[in-house]
Amino acid sequence: MKAIRVHNTGGPEVMKLEEVPVPQPKPAEAVVKVAVAGVNSIDGYFRDGRFRTPLPFIPGQEGAGVVTAVGARVKTAKIGDRVAWSGVLGSYAEFVVSPEEHLVPVPAAISEEQAAAAMVHGLTAHYLVTDAHKLKAGETALVHAAAGGVGLLLVQMARAIGARVIGTVSSDEKAQLAREAGADEVIVFTKQDFEVEVKRLTDGKGVEVVYDGVGKATFEKNLNVMRLRGMLVLYGMSSGPVLPVDPAKLSEKGSLYMARTTLAHFTATREELLARTSALFGMIGDGKLKLRIAKTYALADAPQAHRDMEARKIAGKLLLIP
Amino acid sequence: MKAIQVKQVGGPEAMELVELPVPQPKANEAVVKLAASGVNFIDVYFREGRYKAPLPLIPGNEGAGAVTAVGAEVKALKVGDHVAWAGVQGSYAEYAAVPADRLVPIPSDVSDQQAAAVMLQGMTAHYLSHDTFPLKQGETALVHAAAGGVGLLLVQMAHNIGARVIATVSSEEKAQLARGAGADEVIFYTQQDFEVETKRLTGGKGVDVVYDSVGRTTFEKGLNILRPRGMMVLFGGSSGAVPPFDLITLSQKGSLYVTRPSLFHYIATREELVARSSSLFSMIAEGKLKLRIEYRYPLAEAQQAHRDLEGRKTTGKLLLLP
Repeated sequence: MKAIRVHNTGGPEVMKLEEVPVPQPKPAEAVVKVAVAGVNSIDGYFRDGRFRTPLPFIPGQEGAGVVTAVGARVKTAKIGDRVAWSGVLGSYAEFVVSPEEHLVPVPAAISEEQAAAAMVHGLTAHYLVTDAHKLKAGETALVHAAAGGVGLLLVQMARAIGARVIGTVSSDEKAQLAREAGADEVIVFTKQDFEVEVKRLTDGKGVEVVYDGVGKATFEKNLNVMRLRGMLVLYGMSSGPVLPVDPAKLSEKGSLYMARTTLAHFTATREELLARTSALFGMIGDGKLKLRIAKTYALADAPQAHRDMEARKIAGKLLLIP
Repeated sequence: MKAIQVKQVGGPEAMELVELPVPQPKANEAVVKLAASGVNFIDVYFREGRYKAPLPLIPGNEGAGAVTAVGAEVKALKVGDHVAWAGVQGSYAEYAAVPADRLVPIPSDVSDQQAAAVMLQGMTAHYLSHDTFPLKQGETALVHAAAGGVGLLLVQMAHNIGARVIATVSSEEKAQLARGAGADEVIFYTQQDFEVETKRLTGGKGVDVVYDSVGRTTFEKGLNILRPRGMMVLFGGSSGAVPPFDLITLSQKGSLYVTRPSLFHYIATREELVARSSSLFSMIAEGKLKLRIEYRYPLAEAQQAHRDLEGRKTTGKLLLLP
């Protein structure tokens, strides 16, 4: 089969299209013919060595496709089932092997492109508003990078709950996207100070929750825009890791809460993974959640996909079609 | 009137018994004749100068008694009402002038001494268990310094909610107190590693919440015994301040939450102050919350009260009776 492989970590050019054997399932695994693989920032972290894995490896954590083989102890997955996954390394390939428990069924109303596009960003947005901070109608949420992959979905879900959404974006074009997703207010942070603006927009009270995938660049000001006992949910670090935090600051700024979350802890049990994906696929099937698939690439063009992702010019999901 | 005054910060001897005029109420104040004044570590910090206040100062942040005069704008209080407060300096005296919106009514089935004994520690235990992390039946809480002033009240409240309580203490005498308050398990942290013990007691799963007033010496291990998505509530630093910490540890250890609350932010509105104190007084009146008022001193012996408190030989509440 054809697959992208990384033999040495580095820039996008280290990803090479190669011919490798089709993987065989272990007893609790299934092999899936990949219809679509999602491109995520975490793939860049593995490629450039910030996150470590033994070399050589096939990148890609997310995708959708059809089961072609199952191991002897696989209980429910059958050959021919349409499935999707996240957190399974090796998705930039024609076939991937995955533990059965990471595969979720894709309902007929959802295309494989939609499923692959929604797994990481959609499940992340979902756990952020339902669990990391259980957002309620009438609350105000600040969503950084509101036109990003997670951001656009988070804004839609927050609005559907009935929360007021203040989004931050880097350009007028992205501001338009955030507004279309339902943001009540949009701050173009390259032109406006988001601390000043959020205070103005909330009459000095601040927001109940900040959802932040940006990290270092936004951290300090975040602490100044939360209401008393507000919650900062850090789920990423696109601008770099936050410097060590003095816990006394949380009390000085108003008995604040802080969480640093990752998707794996919100899909840790099979029950939770299935409940979350079925809720997500339900929203997509009902037309309540619009995915923005910006561009699809042939498997061989994975380096270009990473260049486009890292240039941050394209708003929306990037997909590889093996 | 007689009052304790600190003219220059220092040791217990910096507190002098002096004769001062009875205060007159400002328009929004009431004057209270003190029946009892609570003795707290915060009083020591002000006396030493670790916390700053204009000198000379009358120490004491907590008290109860009967209203003897009200200012022109005070509507809800009248002479003779029994009231209590926390967080307003000046209770080591026969009379104190207090903003009326900080005074809460004491119901007839609660004594002034009981009220003075619980305003700071009782409301702290209340907001920790009911709001910062609203404990639910069946959850497990680790309470450090469980035989301390807040600890004994927190253990009782957590137990009454139906949570399982794991308590850490330093001695057999304190273990008895913690068990008497309803602790299900007691760990002697001087003899046993509380991380190892807590893991054993929870079958490796960890606890839902850690209530930690100890700080420096317990914080790191506290993060290791939280279940995924559990919460660290750091509400004091009796062993020293927790140094700045790397947020990535929160995600590595299971998408954990950290908060550093202080009482002031949980009684910031009049509504919340009254609701919290009434709930607390009801628990006392119904016999669901037992207080340990172990030491009573005349006002003139404030120095001895501080020596006893700082010597850490006392367990239970210290009151001055002006």
